[in-house]
Amino acid sequence: MIARVRGTLSGGGKTPYDRPLLAYLFILPGFAIYALFVLVPIAGTVRYSFYQWTGFSAPTFIGLDNYRALLKDDFFINALGNNIYFILFYTVLPILLGLFLTSLLARSRLRGMAIFRVGLFLPQVLSPVVVGIIWRWIFAYDGPINEFLTVIGLDGWVRPWLGDFEWAPRAAGAVGTWVEYGLCLVLFIAGVQAIEEDLYDAAQVDGASAIQQFRHVTLPGLRQQILVAFVVTFIAALRVFGMVFVLTRGGPGQETQVVSMLIYDQAFRFRQAGYSTAMAVVLSVIIVGVSALTLYGQGRREEDA
Amino acid sequence: MKKRSIMLAVLLTLVVAVIGAMPTLTTAQEAVTLVVWDNWTRDVEVAMMEQLNAEFEEAHPGVTIVKEAYVVDDLNALLPLALSEASGPDVAQVNQGYTAMGPMVGAGLLLPLNEYADQYGWWDRYAMSLHKRNSFAEDGSQIAVGNLYGVSNAAEIVGVYYHRDIFEEHGLSIPQTLAEFEEILATLKAAGVTPIVFGSLDGWPAIHEYGAIQHAYTDIDTLDAFMYRLEGGTFINDANLKAAEKLVEWVKAGYFSPGFEGMDYDNATASAFINKEGAMWITGSWMAGSLIEALGEDTVGFFVFPPAEADAAPLSIGGVNLAYGIRATTEHPDLAAEYVDWITGPRAAEVLLENGFLPASAVDATALPAGTLNTDVVLGWMTISEANAVGHYLDWTVPNIAGYIQELMAERVTPQEFLDKVEQEYLAG
Repeated sequence: MIARVRGTLSGGGKTPYDRPLLAYLFILPGFAIYALFVLVPIAGTVRYSFYQWTGFSAPTFIGLDNYRALLKDDFFINALGNNIYFILFYTVLPILLGLFLTSLLARSRLRGMAIFRVGLFLPQVLSPVVVGIIWRWIFAYDGPINEFLTVIGLDGWVRPWLGDFEWAPRAAGAVGTWVEYGLCLVLFIAGVQAIEEDLYDAAQVDGASAIQQFRHVTLPGLRQQILVAFVVTFIAALRVFGMVFVLTRGGPGQETQVVSMLIYDQAFRFRQAGYSTAMAVVLSVIIVGVSALTLYGQGRREEDA
Repeated sequence: MKKRSIMLAVLLTLVVAVIGAMPTLTTAQEAVTLVVWDNWTRDVEVAMMEQLNAEFEEAHPGVTIVKEAYVVDDLNALLPLALSEASGPDVAQVNQGYTAMGPMVGAGLLLPLNEYADQYGWWDRYAMSLHKRNSFAEDGSQIAVGNLYGVSNAAEIVGVYYHRDIFEEHGLSIPQTLAEFEEILATLKAAGVTPIVFGSLDGWPAIHEYGAIQHAYTDIDTLDAFMYRLEGGTFINDANLKAAEKLVEWVKAGYFSPGFEGMDYDNATASAFINKEGAMWITGSWMAGSLIEALGEDTVGFFVFPPAEADAAPLSIGGVNLAYGIRATTEHPDLAAEYVDWITGPRAAEVLLENGFLPASAVDATALPAGTLNTDVVLGWMTISEANAVGHYLDWTVPNIAGYIQELMAERVTPQEFLDKVEQEYLAG
């Protein structure tokens, strides 16, 4: 084995693809760390999902019972529904908003774009807890939103946003839109700048309106970026935890409860670590599944093209 | 910086734990080391406990107390393992309930304390209903029965804080019944004062609002049966229904802060009370220190939430802190018991009181300064403890109850539906 590696080492002049063994050798340290801190824990999580386990006692194997219980768990189904509802605010709205703003911004060479980019990207960089605290203050009953509504005479609209059964999910969702649209916008603007200027010129010569240019030149040119934005924000919608925890604790009632908060509660408050890992596995499978399908679909389309 | 000092503290604790676990080199002498794991972690708490430990050492030459402080989560996680080792703590504060004390009792890690309790008179320290919380069946399967496995030294009570000047201004006095309390609510509301400062955004404060009214209607045996899952334990009864109806009635009457659904506890609710945006606040004794700091000793008073019937006991939400238990395999059980007696005894109560904590055992009421908030809180606690009328936090048995109460207050469910939902989770748990 070692001899073969040595042999390839002295080969010289070949591309790395001709020396897979050597390549694996270089990957090994990184892979070992990745395996130790990512793959092994994931395997452990999957394993414990088949056990009844408090988190410290001896686990008891119960087969698929945790998963069967999940199907009948109203809290879980409700929380999963809320996560799916959040896709509207975390994924759909930011992408639409990003595209709309891109169509306004991209064609004009704006001064100080770098500063705008930093500003728009900031919510992405902030810790979810910080975002949660800021918006909790903004949505407070005596906070700026309600004060503004009072000042402009819309007293009837004043409400306890985060404690209102009807409005809390929308308010918590809107914060997600605020966090994610900047990411989408920055991605799209970068993408637009990579589109050949000639295409727009040609479209203009053909008499295409601004809307038609957007529809037939910009949008197809941004397919890659939209896809990335979709996958990233979709994952964010399904695994949201800190922000909702700070904003509403899942309340009022169970209106903004999300799966990751149930996972936390089951593992650390109720000592049902086994059941909790089953939830985590289901959530991960959904996230990985949808992301993989999306990327796979894109790959196929590119092969076709 | 703070993170670093925490890391340092953790490291130090580890070092101490390792050193403590090594066989002592000084065993040749008569010296005895008693290792105590407790839950007093903040600076002022550590100083207080170290003072008591020093006094104990003074009275027992040759005895050294090694105090190791852990937050509750760490105690829950580490104690079961530590108690199973020969080098584990001799005395430790054990969390009550089915996820902590129960399994430890079941595994035979804790010493039954009944004989020591007889010997030292621990039974008379505080209400029998509180000793039940520190008791378990020998196999750890049922709380509130069987042997005693721990003794507590601090307490908390949920009651009503009120602004003395607002009460004076409107000619109000401390209510003795729920009806009198409702008269106060109506008077204040009519005068344009928000009667009760309250915010339910965090969920859990709603448990105090409903719980206070529910405790006024129910009795300790019914409540205990429900909380401890004894035979016949149920949430479906008239008292709980009346309390739910009453809570909705109060919401409709506008007795709580406007926009309470969107107010959190630490900022919105606390500052609303401190800024006198309302007359009363139903919450726990843990706020007394902050209120004294903000408003002084004598501007705010505290009373126990009154019962529905004039001659009934004023049952009130409350509890005791993590209980001092003894490792079953300790080499010094008698000394450990003596320590437990000391740390939960009259002198400890005195020191706790001096430092602004609420002692679990009775203190000399005549020595307390009149008209201060601390005195009100201590007297309130002693009233319910002596009457064996210390109630419960309902989420202890039904973890999601705060959400159901939010639904009830928003009239998303009727009072009967609320009861059914709680019962459903109770039966599933």
